[in-house]
Amino acid sequence: MNVFVNEQTLEIAPDCNIEELLEALDKPLQGTAVAVNQNILSRSLWSDYSLQEGDHISLFQAIAGG
Amino acid sequence: MLTDSEMLRYSRHLLLEDVGELGQKDLKNGKVLIIGMGGLGSPAAMYLAAAGVGSLVLCDFDCLEVSNLQRQIGYQTGDIGGDKVELMKHRLEMINPEIRVRSINKEMAEEQLLMELMMVNLVLDCTDNMASRQMINAACVKAKVPLIVGAAIRLEGQLMFFDHSQADSACYHCLFPNSDEQALNCSNSGVLGPVVGTIGTMQALEAIKHLVGLPSGIKNKLKLFDGKTLDWQTFAVKKDPECSVCGKNR
Repeated sequence: MNVFVNEQTLEIAPDCNIEELLEALDKPLQGTAVAVNQNILSRSLWSDYSLQEGDHISLFQAIAGG
Repeated sequence: MLTDSEMLRYSRHLLLEDVGELGQKDLKNGKVLIIGMGGLGSPAAMYLAAAGVGSLVLCDFDCLEVSNLQRQIGYQTGDIGGDKVELMKHRLEMINPEIRVRSINKEMAEEQLLMELMMVNLVLDCTDNMASRQMINAACVKAKVPLIVGAAIRLEGQLMFFDHSQADSACYHCLFPNSDEQALNCSNSGVLGPVVGTIGTMQALEAIKHLVGLPSGIKNKLKLFDGKTLDWQTFAVKKDPECSVCGKNR
């Protein structure tokens, strides 16, 4: 099935969760924030959330500068 | 009551239906702690001083360096080597002698920060590192003080408002739970002045709105600013029940 990761289409296995997605993309689990369809998904929910067809996933890093 | 000189100084606020004389009095009674006097803190502090926020507390422990001047627009070349908080205090008093400005020229430990929080209505996090951000957030959760967080790097900005006076508010730690991470900062990544200035200015805007009682559109939201396209993305942040700072197990 297809999802969108930072607006890029990506084909993933059905029932893939966020943790598996980050591992597949080789993204660090530390320091990454994840939003699904404009809602931030808490770190504690990453392994519970099964991605759905057409989900828009946004990945970004905390920035600290000021 | 506003004095005659205040009526003149703030006449453009008094014309606004959303501020008016009542709102200006709210600003006069406002007490805001601004932590970090760099690229975010410069415009934030100057706008709040100009707007007549009655009591400003500034905190930083850095001296001004020449490499700060590209973005930290509250300072001048002749200020290099001076303490930022003292320089900014002087600058704000020049902008608006009607307000009170106090400076804290050191890095506050949690205990002192909690004391300071008892005396303010609002905190602006304008710092430049993850450890300070986590500490400020935890203290604001504990003291139930609203917190407006800004951050910027390269051509990207982040803006959030967590109203810790509300029990169901999310917090910075719900969003970024890993305090030990090497988060990007200005000295390791670079930043454009107007990008960090935009975020600091937005922090001032949200602060003024909060003080005069206008609703905020960004509570429990993360706004991402893209300086290349000028696009803003908005994400909802929910309280994480498992959050070790604001959740049920704290």
